[in-house]
Amino acid sequence: MEIPYEVTARRDTGLYNAKIGVWLFLASEVMLFGGLFSAYVFLRVGTQPGFDNPWPMGINVQKIWPGFINTLVLIASSVFVVFAWVALKERKWQVFQRWMWGVILCAVIFMGFKAYEYSDKLLNHHDVKLVDNSILGGKILDRTHKIRFAAEEVTVDFSGGIPGFIGEIDEDAGDVEFTVVEGADEDDPKTVKLSQFKKWFSTQRREAMAEAVAEKMKRRKGTWEEGKDEPAVTKAKLTAKFNMHVDPHYIVQRNEETLNYRDRTTVKGKLIDDSIKLELHNINLQMIPMQQQDAVLAWKLIHESTGNDDIKKQVLETRDSRIEGIKKYYEDGVVPVKALRGPYVNYHNLHDSHGHDHGHDHSHGDAHAGDHGSEEAGGGHHGETIVTIPRDQARFVTNHGPRAGTYYAIYFTMTGLHGLHVIGGALVLAYFLFFGKRIYLKNPEHLANRVEVGGLFWHFVDLVWIFLFPIMYLM
Amino acid sequence: MASSQEELDRLKKSYVAVGAALFVFTVVTVFTAHWWHPFGPVMGWRDVVLGLIIATVKSSLVALIFMHLNHERGLVYKVLTFTFYFFLGLMALTLFALFDPIPEAFDAIQNALR
Amino acid sequence: MSAEATLHDATGHAHDGHDHHDPPFWKKYIFSTDHKVIGIQYGFTALVFMAVGFFLMMVMRWSIAYPDRPVPFLADLPWFQSWLDADGKVTGELYNMFGAMHGTIMIFLGVVPLAFGAFGNYVTPLQIGAPDMAFPRLNMASYWCFFLGGVLMFVSFFLPSGAAKAGWTNYSPLATTTDLGYANQFWTGQTQWLFAMALLITSSLLGAVNFIATIINLRAKGMTWMRLPFFVWAMLVTGFLLLLAFPPLEVAAIMQIMDRLVGTSFFVPTGLNVAGQPFDVAGGGSPLLYQHLFWFLGHPEVYVLILPAFAIVAEIIPCNTRRPLWGYKVMVYAAMVLGFLSFIVWAHHMYLTGMGTSVSTFFQTTTVLISVPSVILITSLLISLWGGSIRFNSAMLFATAFIPMFGIGGLTGLPLAFNNLVLHLHDTYYVIGHFHYVVAPGTIFALFAGIYHWFPKHTGRMMSEKLGQLHFWPSLIFMNGIFLPMFFQGMAGFHRRAFDGGAAYQQISSQLFMPGDSVFGGIFNFLFGRAAGQDILMIDLNLIMSASAWLLALAQIPFVINLFISVFNGKKVTSDNPWDATTLEWATPTPPPHGNFLTEPVTYRTAYEYSVPGADEDFLPQFVPDKETGAPEPAKVAAKH
Ligand code: HEM
Ligand SMILES: [Cu+2]
Repeated sequence: MEIPYEVTARRDTGLYNAKIGVWLFLASEVMLFGGLFSAYVFLRVGTQPGFDNPWPMGINVQKIWPGFINTLVLIASSVFVVFAWVALKERKWQVFQRWMWGVILCAVIFMGFKAYEYSDKLLNHHDVKLVDNSILGGKILDRTHKIRFAAEEVTVDFSGGIPGFIGEIDEDAGDVEFTVVEGADEDDPKTVKLSQFKKWFSTQRREAMAEAVAEKMKRRKGTWEEGKDEPAVTKAKLTAKFNMHVDPHYIVQRNEETLNYRDRTTVKGKLIDDSIKLELHNINLQMIPMQQQDAVLAWKLIHESTGNDDIKKQVLETRDSRIEGIKKYYEDGVVPVKALRGPYVNYHNLHDSHGHDHGHDHSHGDAHAGDHGSEEAGGGHHGETIVTIPRDQARFVTNHGPRAGTYYAIYFTMTGLHGLHVIGGALVLAYFLFFGKRIYLKNPEHLANRVEVGGLFWHFVDLVWIFLFPIMYLM
Repeated sequence: MASSQEELDRLKKSYVAVGAALFVFTVVTVFTAHWWHPFGPVMGWRDVVLGLIIATVKSSLVALIFMHLNHERGLVYKVLTFTFYFFLGLMALTLFALFDPIPEAFDAIQNALR
Repeated sequence: MSAEATLHDATGHAHDGHDHHDPPFWKKYIFSTDHKVIGIQYGFTALVFMAVGFFLMMVMRWSIAYPDRPVPFLADLPWFQSWLDADGKVTGELYNMFGAMHGTIMIFLGVVPLAFGAFGNYVTPLQIGAPDMAFPRLNMASYWCFFLGGVLMFVSFFLPSGAAKAGWTNYSPLATTTDLGYANQFWTGQTQWLFAMALLITSSLLGAVNFIATIINLRAKGMTWMRLPFFVWAMLVTGFLLLLAFPPLEVAAIMQIMDRLVGTSFFVPTGLNVAGQPFDVAGGGSPLLYQHLFWFLGHPEVYVLILPAFAIVAEIIPCNTRRPLWGYKVMVYAAMVLGFLSFIVWAHHMYLTGMGTSVSTFFQTTTVLISVPSVILITSLLISLWGGSIRFNSAMLFATAFIPMFGIGGLTGLPLAFNNLVLHLHDTYYVIGHFHYVVAPGTIFALFAGIYHWFPKHTGRMMSEKLGQLHFWPSLIFMNGIFLPMFFQGMAGFHRRAFDGGAAYQQISSQLFMPGDSVFGGIFNFLFGRAAGQDILMIDLNLIMSASAWLLALAQIPFVINLFISVFNGKKVTSDNPWDATTLEWATPTPPPHGNFLTEPVTYRTAYEYSVPGADEDFLPQFVPDKETGAPEPAKVAAKH
């Protein structure tokens, strides 16, 4: 028997198999994105003002225009898909092809803007949360969010995985050669090149583990002779001179001479520089009650770097006028701390005058610290304000990637998954465009059905974006 | 569905119309997001509701016209109704749980951490 | 296989008639798109995985019973030794790893693939009279996703970090902060668990789409909804559960992957300290969100585990009592209600997470409500036994035992619906006992029953009855030997996930269970070689449970022997319908060829027409036309819809 209803619809259900299939699949997709939307709402509503990292409104931190154009692009592509389907229904292969090309083009444009948005967020925007929860936003210069360290001696632990420090060695250090000082057998190589390090480590690890197991067995069986049998070696000390930039995320303990990694590697040497250099764009005091905002650490750092009080003056003036405004709502004039916190005090666009990429939302910005980006001071890139932040004053350093907070996390996860759907859908449709002719010649209705099913998926992807755009960019 | 040429022509017209409507609605959403707050970029619940209503209208258009739901048979509706029910359950009940914590315990944790 | 090919062969032997275009071996048995081959693949893989899950459990049980003694046999194997401590004892970490993987493997790689993947795949298209699944290639993809997911789970044991250790629930932030000591977070067990789960979920989703589409669109002529065997209904509901409940878990897995690999903080709250250090993430996430997403799947999942079991038992009982299934329609509606309700009870797993009283009340209510359809199902099965002349073959033994075993599991679940009782019982062995009664002597027994029942269809040979009995009785005894004492321990306050079986909690574990001079005490002390008259403490029950667990392993040997021997040496069946059953799968040749039916099957009646008064035989198969009227009924049927 052949499988029935592959092209024609079954009479009582009115559907051919693939259509049922795709609607069921879409149902599960609804639950997939439904889960993500629930997570969005849960996280956003659950954010405790002043306690958790502030949930920024999209309109404050996103450029709207790429999202806007992408929305239009996807809508256009949706129209193209239905027209391609109609063309098949009319048995016009060439027209079908033309519309399909349009869809693929739209997908490419969409992903292009996506790539632009992602890279902009990842590379050009950073936040430094200081220990008192005031947040400086801007662009970190030259990987200065990493610890720069001159290493001389490394101790690795074979009971763990491949140590991570090898990924943090400066590129210009070349193929560093390590000299094994301690912890390897006589007949093992005395030096290891960086390029060989992983292999070397794995071999050593295997041997070390085997030795450790043998030792355990001997001890348990009582055949171990203390002093005679050599205990298993599970660590090795190596020396080499190289500079590295270390992600503090992986460090559990450190001082001027030592870095202790989470993976039990120890690197000894000398600290070169440990301060973060930030080209200042905005100050975010959402976690600080308003009446305390003039005493935050952020001001101190800004002072030290620029000596320019204009920003501070402007921001504080805005704050005072807002407090006045809020007071009106409290009859006795006493404003509770809770009311003084909240999503009001994000002073952004500190350097509008330069006009590049940060100034798209200034039409509605309420709290402009003004266009006094203080070119005269600082002496950094393009005359921006460069703030130098000692590491021990920074609680959390991040770019505007997914790490930056739950908003960014869900933004990247949802748009990323959506992007994968765009790619998947485009591949399916491209398949019909390039390889559909065969099916078309055999049975045009079959291809029309398949395009309809592929189109259903494509519309669904469009539909998800219709919701993503407002909740990520506008709200 | 859609076997005769007139029907197809009619469909084509509706597709263009829906496409245009979607464009317009997109502009409207962006506009409202900016226009609604003379007091700065403060999103009140009104903006959120408005934005979601517009998005719902847009997505209904897509689902009904582009995805041919208006022509579809009952079975698909049944499946989608189940799905909607479960999605609603997930969304509503998690929020329900979020908004009904044991308050003392919650405050105690926060204070301990602060 | 084209339709003509099968039709031509209709007179001769269908299954060896295709030689003119027989596909190559790898296409026929490995990358096959035939639902029966895929079903067998699922079944075989799942049985192997389950054996591994069982093995992990046996090691755990050693650690529980004898926390201060080295593991026998295994401690002398070098590769195993590397997991143990210097004395060859199970460490807490190893226990966590094995415990987490036992749960994961048993549920996601064992029972679901065996129940839904194997039996569902094999039997569903046959029972509705379809030539195959609606999307055979999707079906194959589903199997291979499952296979890859399983392999990934097993590979993770041999990573430097070992496999996942945060329980099968994988709660954050524990799961997020486990294995942090590895620079390459990608290749840690904890992360690979998530990727493997994503694959398994994908597999289930593909399967679910396929099942539902098949059942909706490929029913044979005359197979109206109310003529579907209950098995098919259960598969339909299960399919919907998988389809709609799994995606939120996929979301949770993706978000946890992000947390682990990218450093987001979806599930990491503000102010978290790990090992005395502030955890370097933005914070602001919610561990409760993870629990919600997990249990949104987790609860429907337990019905995914139990509905196929009901389905199998509901096929076997009427066939062997020679009586119609009692309350077929009620059972169908009960299964649907069960499916619906199962989506709104999940937070009964979260009573102790600081939920307020209104939410608790809501979930208590729905949880108590959902017990109603479950009780309807089990009661219908029980009543179906009434007044039958029961044929106690091995399949029927297991199916009958399923009823009281599930009954115990289900009834002990009721107290867990109430949050005031959960205050005491949460995370104790009582819970472990409760759900194991449901899944181990419950579902697993039903699955065994299914194997005994459908084995002749695929192989054309019967399984040995003697070995079947030898499999059943010890299994029944030892299953209860393991799980019954868990209730006592749990109520006494024994915490689950304790690698020393509670020894560290002196006050709890030293409670008296039975005085040493009682009969039970005498037997116990004798059996375990202890001084006569020694009192039996609560913690001593661990000895009984562990011994039962190992003996249970021995009890499976007859089954394995039976399975392999019978394939070659079992008694040959004399007809295509050896059990005299009524459903459509018995209308196919034995074994069913590719394309299943020689001619397009037609359904004439409901599924369980046994002992119909006035009929020639005690069963009227669905596929046999009415004698008296001669005219096939489907005309009437077609008018119906
Ligand atoms: C047939 C014999 C089985 C035995 C003797 C057994 C025994 C155990 C034991 C001793 C534990 C650990 C309890 C603890 O330390 O908290 C456990 C946990 C568990 N078992 Fe089983 N089990 C069996 C079958 C199954 C089956 C068939 C399933 C599922 C379908 C299953 C699912 C689980 C789950 C989910 C856990 C919890 C794991 C966790 O704590 O994360 N078990 N089992
Ligand atoms: Cu539950």
